[in-house]
Amino acid sequence: MLILDILTTAAVLFIVSAGLLAIFGVLKIINFAHGAWLTIGAYCAVIVAGLGLNPWLALPLAFLVGGALGGVTEHFIVRPLYQRPLDAILATWGLGIVVGQLITLWFGRDVQFTPGLLSGTVDVFGISYSLYRLFALGAAVVIGLGFAFLLEGTRLGLTAQAVIMNETLAKGLGIDTGKVRLATFVIGTGLTALAGVLLTPLTSVDPTMGVAWLIGAFMLVMVAGSSFGALAVACLVFGGAQVIVSTFVSPILGGITVAVLCALVLRISPKGFARA
Amino acid sequence: MPDANTLAAPALRRPRIIRSYLLIALAVTALVLVVFGPSFLDRFSLNVLTRSMIYALLAITVDLLWGYTGILTFGQAAFFGVGAYASAMVLSHVGGSPALIALSFALAILVPVVLGLLVGWLSFYHGSTPLYATVVSLVVPIVITQIVYSGGTWTGSSSGLVGYWGLPLGLAGFFRLSGLCLVVAAVAACIFVRSDAGKVLIAIRDNDTRCAYLGLNTQKIRILLTAVLAGVAGLAGFLFANASGVVAPENTGFVFGTELVVWTALGGRGTIIGPVLGTIGIDFLSANLSGRLPFLYQLLIGSLFVLMIIFLPNGLAAIATAAFSRFGGRSGDALDNPKLVALDDAERQSAPIGAGDPLLKIEGLKKAYGSQIVLQGIDVEIRAGELVSLVGPNGAGKTTLMRCLSDGREDIDGRISVSGADISGLVPNRIVGLGVGRKFQVASVFDSLTVAECLRMARASLDRPNWFAQSRELALPAPAVEILTLTGLSGLLGQKVSLLSHGQKQALELAMVVALEPRLILLDEPTAGLTKTERTTIGTVLQRLTGDLGLAAILVEHDLEFVRDISSRIVVLHQGKLVLDGSVDEVVNSQTVKEIYSGGGHD
Amino acid sequence: MKLIKSLAMATALVGIATTAFAQDSDPIKIGVPVGLSGANSVVAPSVVQAAELAVEEINEEGGILGRTVTLEIADDQSGAAGAQKAFDSLVYQHEVDVIISMETSAARNAGLPIVSRGGVPYIYTSFYEGRSCNPYLFVNAWVPEQQVPPVVDQFMEKDGAKKFFLIGSDYAFGRGMLEFARKYIEDNGGEVVGEEYLPMDGSDWTAIISNLKSSGADALVTSTAGGAPNVTLTKQLRGAGVDLPYGNLAVDEGTAKTMGADAAGIYISASYVTGIDSDENKAFLKAMDDKFGEDLRTPNDLSVPQYEGVYLYKAAVEKAGSTDPDAVLAALAEVSFTGPRGAISMNKQHHAPLNMYLGQVQEDGSVTVVNTFQNVDPGEQCPNL
Repeated sequence: MLILDILTTAAVLFIVSAGLLAIFGVLKIINFAHGAWLTIGAYCAVIVAGLGLNPWLALPLAFLVGGALGGVTEHFIVRPLYQRPLDAILATWGLGIVVGQLITLWFGRDVQFTPGLLSGTVDVFGISYSLYRLFALGAAVVIGLGFAFLLEGTRLGLTAQAVIMNETLAKGLGIDTGKVRLATFVIGTGLTALAGVLLTPLTSVDPTMGVAWLIGAFMLVMVAGSSFGALAVACLVFGGAQVIVSTFVSPILGGITVAVLCALVLRISPKGFARA
Repeated sequence: MPDANTLAAPALRRPRIIRSYLLIALAVTALVLVVFGPSFLDRFSLNVLTRSMIYALLAITVDLLWGYTGILTFGQAAFFGVGAYASAMVLSHVGGSPALIALSFALAILVPVVLGLLVGWLSFYHGSTPLYATVVSLVVPIVITQIVYSGGTWTGSSSGLVGYWGLPLGLAGFFRLSGLCLVVAAVAACIFVRSDAGKVLIAIRDNDTRCAYLGLNTQKIRILLTAVLAGVAGLAGFLFANASGVVAPENTGFVFGTELVVWTALGGRGTIIGPVLGTIGIDFLSANLSGRLPFLYQLLIGSLFVLMIIFLPNGLAAIATAAFSRFGGRSGDALDNPKLVALDDAERQSAPIGAGDPLLKIEGLKKAYGSQIVLQGIDVEIRAGELVSLVGPNGAGKTTLMRCLSDGREDIDGRISVSGADISGLVPNRIVGLGVGRKFQVASVFDSLTVAECLRMARASLDRPNWFAQSRELALPAPAVEILTLTGLSGLLGQKVSLLSHGQKQALELAMVVALEPRLILLDEPTAGLTKTERTTIGTVLQRLTGDLGLAAILVEHDLEFVRDISSRIVVLHQGKLVLDGSVDEVVNSQTVKEIYSGGGHD
Repeated sequence: MKLIKSLAMATALVGIATTAFAQDSDPIKIGVPVGLSGANSVVAPSVVQAAELAVEEINEEGGILGRTVTLEIADDQSGAAGAQKAFDSLVYQHEVDVIISMETSAARNAGLPIVSRGGVPYIYTSFYEGRSCNPYLFVNAWVPEQQVPPVVDQFMEKDGAKKFFLIGSDYAFGRGMLEFARKYIEDNGGEVVGEEYLPMDGSDWTAIISNLKSSGADALVTSTAGGAPNVTLTKQLRGAGVDLPYGNLAVDEGTAKTMGADAAGIYISASYVTGIDSDENKAFLKAMDDKFGEDLRTPNDLSVPQYEGVYLYKAAVEKAGSTDPDAVLAALAEVSFTGPRGAISMNKQHHAPLNMYLGQVQEDGSVTVVNTFQNVDPGEQCPNL
């Protein structure tokens, strides 16, 4: 039970943080509107449910909507700020406020409900466990492997890696870094919106739902640096710590475990897990 | 000490006087408003403005940290909340007698200061990034808020604390007290940031590395700044807890922290007055408007904030100052040209050590990045008065060697000692303290400061900088003065560094390094990109420093002609190994060197 | 005692014992600070509607003492900072005669010093964790002493439950409710096998649910913050297959309806449900429907006390013969009004004995009343008042 809790908690953390990491890894920009994109994704699920369509359709819709809005954001807001990373944090935070208010104006402040993607429990090793959490574990693996493929197996991935390693050199080699950035931002935000849909069976959907996830994701990404492998390790370690603290000490302490542990890890080893 | 020149050109001093008058006039106006405000403001405005002014006090601290020192922080809300809770908890659970009010006041400042020291220690260490400090500043309010929620009846949890009795002041009294604190803090902050000591903050923001290599312990300065401003935030918390009669978890939260940053940004970071007016304006407006348009109002503020960050990073105050300088005359360059004064030789540090002991001793140095060995088997000794050039093709390890000499935390094998002291593990500013000055390859100066301010920064670790004003004179060691005179910088002391030419910046950096009164100077390509005349000047200066004044210098240089002209010894590096260490003639005539340069070299 | 003393000093120091007596022709102003934005913004519109209906009805009947009544609505942003602005604006800018509102505890606490200094009566219409005492404050909604017993009694008597597990959000209301629940369970021979809290913005209940499953509890009582935490907990409980008797102290009819099957089987306890079979309630529901039509927000346990609060104030002013605060405050403790929830009188230490209803959520999200408890006493809330 404890092991399943740890694995699935880590999986949910990974799903939520992956999009943020994609953007931070390549662009070295912290997208503080990350929470807003989770929210956008979740509201895509609400729209799909409202239209009476199959709830699974929300996944591609969220990816498209999130990516498209991400593209617009990259072009108008993030692009002028690549040289001012701290200002980028602020501008995206401001954007998060704006998105939150727009959603509020459109859908109202109320908690929205979406039909569950999967419900019920299954027996694993004799324990009945939430089916959806196990599904989330699978989804996390798929996203992780998908990124591994994207980075290692495609042209875009290779150019992105070049940009991560040495941007000036990449430019010198004729890589259009502007395009790589745009593509990365679109994929990162699309993925975040997708994660928003995946969260809906676990949480309520309301205009501020994203903020609760933002800090945890942010801290994990700080620790992970620019590597998805490191992110997976970080999610397992800190997600595990959170579950253990919550189970055996106090859920309240568990809630701040990730943030505090990440800060301490960064203090001791400024590069976090990126070296691993 | 030479007397200050009391006849210093009055025409040049006028802008400063105008600015001082302006500040005094502003302060007096503000005080008048604060004192007489209660007689013409209605109670609603009084109440709202009291809180706005307390928030403005916080905005000043955010501005000092973020606008001036470059530390983006969301944590001031936490210190504010801790101060507010400290006083409210004493008043609620112990009592409200005058002695206890005094105790609550002391705790409201002391607890945040201690917390500030802790947060500072966590945030700032050698090699920490600005982003990390921001990360910590996010975590702190989250943790504090959680503690408040879990505090049960001690903290009142989500309901906050209410119904305690603190300072016996009425509405008007709290208005005046808050206003007074705000005016005092704003004036103190204005004076401080304009003073020589205050410029250190800007220097840290501009170029942290250079500060460290000028012997300033920037981490310690940041930690102290954090602690002091945490205390100010605690004071604001004390005022808030007393004036509003309630403290709540949201006062400590990270959302409030971001609001402070938003207000500061909209008002104009790096201006003190901007954030104060911005905070009061926005908060007062929101009290009047947000009831009617709750969501639209936040939407508006959010959009405005995004636009401001992108297009007008310095906030509304930037427009105001631009307009001011257009109508009020030039305000930037050429004013405040301080008088250059040479320090007496007698005041200089200890005499050069005996010629017999090596000033710098490198024994068996090996440096590797992973499996790649960059330096190996380096043994060099350098004595006072020597000018040693370090040559070799690109990738020979010259710059790495310089880095190992000036930063003891580089992971090396072997031993490097300066005046007999092992530098292993020492951070750059400690090594500067041992008498090692380093000039970087790309001129490393402070773009937002003036030439004189940069030079003063170089003296900041030696001469206690003035906390209250900008000194009218600039006292530098004679060699530094000489460099300035030779390069013509002495006439540009009031000039903004960003307006200098490339060569002038190089000369300025050299003068800054020399102003440290080092015994050993490390120079990485000081002549790169300079004109012939400028090179000759630099060469002359270097020879005078080593030959006449007994300093030692290590020079990395590609221009072999220049090297031949000025060096007393030449060390040749190739592929991380020391291939030759000898006199100029020995090296110039060496076959090995010719082979290296014809074979492997690019340059 | 300390409160009263500080209050007296405050009034003296400010130097203005409120109030220029208003002309008879001036309208009576009722201030309603409410969370139009923030956590309470979900329920706030229904509260405003209830107040609007009450004012409209009163004005149609000739107002209070012949004076018309007007509403001043202000957004308190569901928190202390916003409440300070809202109360300042209402008390000092609009100079309202009374404040009647449903708010968070933080907002209420932030407002108390302001109404005390301004000398304005304050009728608080939200259920809360109890024991907020101030000479200017009256409460006409329930406290834990009234809400918890029906649920616990049901589980003990009908389901034979002995071992209870308590889950809450870590805030004053959540802790206050469960603190009382624990005491009540233990006093009645039950046992609390676990009591866990998650931060208010926490959304991952995994560890708590695992502890619940391994605790051997035979009933569950939860008291989270309304809205998001409540929904996430319920969803995750369902996801984990928990099917214990479940009393949710924070779910209301409206939320139950939208949650539908996820909420099925949950027990709720309230002083108002729309299905109350009385003439007053039917008339009230019809009037709400006529006035707001399509825009109607379903009346609930927070909006109905607001409606009744306005009428209680009317009764108090009429008894006092003026809007003079001292006279009104004295009268508020004595008057009674029969509204949708029955006869309400805030005569017990500024709090009100109430009829409580135990309901169970059905598959379609509707709530069926399982049991009714007449005149449940709020207990010793403010012995010093």
